[in-house]
Amino acid sequence: MTGAVVWLERTSTGVAGASREAVGVARSIAGGGPVVGLLVGAGGPSAAERIPVDRLLLVDAPGLADASSAQLAALLAAAAAASGADSMVLAGTARGRDVVGRLAVRWGAAAATNVTDLVAGGSGELHVTRPVFGGRASETLELPGPRRILAPRPHAFAEPPPASAAPPSEALVLPDGFSALPGRGMEGFEPTVGSKGPELGEASIVVSGGRGLRTPESFHLVEELAESLGAAVGASRAVTDAGWRPSSYQVGQTGRAVSPQLYIAVGISGAIQHIVGMVSSRVIVAINSDAQAPIFKVADYGIVGDLFPILPALTAEIRRQRGLTGSAPG
Amino acid sequence: MEIAVLVKPVPDAETRLRPDPAGKGLDPEGVKWVLAGYDESAVEQALLLKESAPGTTVRAISYGPAVRADEVLRAAIALGCDRATSVEAPAGVADDPLVTAAALHLALSRFPASLVLCGKQTGDHESGLVGPAVAELLAVPEYGVAVNVRLDAGGAEMTLQQSVEGGLLRLRAKLPALVALQQAWNDPRTAKLPNILKSRKAPIDRVPAADVAAAVAARLPLATRRLAFRLPPPRTGAKMIEYKTPEEAAQKLVRILREKAKVFP
Amino acid sequence: MVDFALTSEQTSLRDMARKFARTEMAPHAAECDRAGRFPEEIYRKAWELGLMNLNVPTEFGGTGLSLFDQCLIVEELSHACAGMTTSIIANCLALEPILLGGTEEQKHRILDPFCAEYHLASFCLTEPSGGSDAGSLKTRARRDGDHYVLDGEKCFITNAPFASLYTVFATGDPSLRHKGISAFVVPRDTEGVLPGKEEEKMGHRASATSTVRFEGAKVPVENRLGAEGEGFSIAMRTLDQTRTPIGALATGIAQAALDHAADYSKRRQTFGKPISEHQAIQIKLADMAQAVHAARLLTWQAAWTIDHGDRGSLESAIAKCFSSDAAMRVADEAIQVFGGYGYMKEYPVEKLLRDAKLAQIYEGSNEIQRIVIARELLQRYA
Repeated sequence: MTGAVVWLERTSTGVAGASREAVGVARSIAGGGPVVGLLVGAGGPSAAERIPVDRLLLVDAPGLADASSAQLAALLAAAAAASGADSMVLAGTARGRDVVGRLAVRWGAAAATNVTDLVAGGSGELHVTRPVFGGRASETLELPGPRRILAPRPHAFAEPPPASAAPPSEALVLPDGFSALPGRGMEGFEPTVGSKGPELGEASIVVSGGRGLRTPESFHLVEELAESLGAAVGASRAVTDAGWRPSSYQVGQTGRAVSPQLYIAVGISGAIQHIVGMVSSRVIVAINSDAQAPIFKVADYGIVGDLFPILPALTAEIRRQRGLTGSAPG
Repeated sequence: MEIAVLVKPVPDAETRLRPDPAGKGLDPEGVKWVLAGYDESAVEQALLLKESAPGTTVRAISYGPAVRADEVLRAAIALGCDRATSVEAPAGVADDPLVTAAALHLALSRFPASLVLCGKQTGDHESGLVGPAVAELLAVPEYGVAVNVRLDAGGAEMTLQQSVEGGLLRLRAKLPALVALQQAWNDPRTAKLPNILKSRKAPIDRVPAADVAAAVAARLPLATRRLAFRLPPPRTGAKMIEYKTPEEAAQKLVRILREKAKVFP
Repeated sequence: MVDFALTSEQTSLRDMARKFARTEMAPHAAECDRAGRFPEEIYRKAWELGLMNLNVPTEFGGTGLSLFDQCLIVEELSHACAGMTTSIIANCLALEPILLGGTEEQKHRILDPFCAEYHLASFCLTEPSGGSDAGSLKTRARRDGDHYVLDGEKCFITNAPFASLYTVFATGDPSLRHKGISAFVVPRDTEGVLPGKEEEKMGHRASATSTVRFEGAKVPVENRLGAEGEGFSIAMRTLDQTRTPIGALATGIAQAALDHAADYSKRRQTFGKPISEHQAIQIKLADMAQAVHAARLLTWQAAWTIDHGDRGSLESAIAKCFSSDAAMRVADEAIQVFGGYGYMKEYPVEKLLRDAKLAQIYEGSNEIQRIVIARELLQRYA
């Protein structure tokens, strides 16, 4: 394996954290070859900040900020051809995974998404581990060569430290036939009403509330805790069924499956329906008045007690700690 | 117009997962194969489109061992799909999303559709690759994490939304296209009892395993190989935090999250 | 040939009912039980999915299931909430007299519009002065030209406050006892039909029960089912059909009690280990499991017998009586496994005991069932 191309996916605040993590993964599998970053959209080399790639390929075209996955797949294949890389790494975001699916066909490569661990074998094999069945099991796959594409799961790998200087960069020549590819067809954006936090499926922290909150009015205690942590807000089916919050909040078998770094279940008893949607979270905290609630079987840490004084105390403590973190030396 | 919806048999959510004796895959013994999760949302979207555009027919297509595929196809028919195609997996063929995509592509070449719907991923391998790969093979655009697909201009165009961080992107696109749907946004319907009874007798079109084997042959050298399938170590139950006041509980929890779990920002 | 394996069709029916029970009924069972709330939105959904008029043939707009398949569904529903199940299957009981005694014209005229929309019907046989002694009922039906005039009171009538149709048993001449009884279909909007207020019940609190009074209610002759005097026979044949599903309902309660107890026993620790590892608890669970299995198999056998054209009086009486007694025993033991928690309303098992109790009483008390069993039995030793 020599050389890897990474698509540096951009968000409104810069290169996505998951793409930075992808750069680290690319370095591990590049076999000493160069790691090349592909940056698509408006802006020159400065847009790539100090991401530790060896070389940067730029497509400085504002119109492609919202490139379709067909367009991105074509650009990545061109970047691989230009750099001679035989691997690609894309952040395992929703958009990244769409590109991987197309690219595996177009570029003729083995592909694996949702990768949480990897072993680069000495004799050209690449083994990756990925969770399956909503984290209820995991599998190890061998990706045959010569071409491979990986999409690491967000938060699964550490971000590499930034480079001391900006990498050399050059413009990528658009491949033949590029203009014939369909764009994304975007018409507008509707922000989710009342939701300030991150998207449930992508958040690194999720705070979910259940029937233990007793009334829709007390659900704000969950939202305040989530806000203090910069977390997404989720809910059990009981809450969405009762109409306290829309069904888009529901975590579980019939709702969203999430696997954040930290999952805090508040007043959720832990029906199997809910458990399968969150059990693959890295750390699970449960707060519930019933010591026998099944949620404590899957949680790492538990607090048994009355939610109503505990939640505000926790929110206040986190706010206090975060305030101190900002001003304390070191 | 013709809509195709790709559905995959996955183990029922309550299945107790077990590795097979070789430790290389799921032990299929006693597993109940169902239409679940993302695919239910895709079927629901297909049926909503059918109800909104008279003359539309919906074909469910499933790839896998015929007995499993037939189960989910009958479930799709019971929900309201008009036709079903079972794409029979050749015995022993690699279980890889790109191989699956090649097999489904064969089925779509025999039963063409101007709109192909699927779940954004399946509830087992969760690769999310099959939809975009099928779209690439069909040379049509694909739209992921979609909700609220609506047909316009007599089925020549559609509008849809994509569920992204902080909200919904609104898109307009031309058909043919493939749309991979977000899970659980549309409250999938439950099949009615009389329709379940009728679905047991519905005919199912078949793409035979031999044809599939020929269609996927070129992709097989690139297929991933599963070396291991394992269950995570069982969770041993929560460590309970002892406290006297709510403030003490909060302080102890935050300290644990910061020092032990290292997840506190 | 004996075969206990369900067909794939039966498996899919059962799975559908199980899904409905778990996702639509179970989450509301405790709340409806506490408040005594009649969750009409759930019943409406049950009707939409074809779970309500299970016994009505498809040509009249029902689901048209065999008794065996009805039992598979009833057990699943009852596992989530026996009270809701009673209200969901009350239509089967109320409409069976029409299926048994009605002409083709009557079936189409009455059932087609009834089944085409969400409607509830009630079976009106029991009276305040006596339930089991149906032959002595006092509600009068007086012929007056082209109609009958009904006067009297029925009690413990399931779904009565919400029903749009009543099947009513009334006598033209009490001195004729059984032979004086006729069956009538009475729309709710008939003048002089007066459902009473809902009773406060021990269990089945998601179901509604009330009296229905008839004060000079005029019922056209074409709404009489069968001949004059045929009503008692229609009522008894109806109960022969609907007794077996009560066995399934009781089996569902018993299975739920066993499931709760077994699950709790693995989570609850005493003396340093889960109580499921104590033999005292294991023996209880083993006995409960035997009762559940026996109840289910007796129910299946009764349903199978009736589906194969036999009246099945003995089998259905055994199924209903044994299963409801078993449900009481198993629910009782489940509470014991839970200990003090089991006695608390916050936990689901005390409800099961209260729900199981009714299964020993309604649709022919277990005493009556035993009389039927003894009579059928002794005939064979003539």
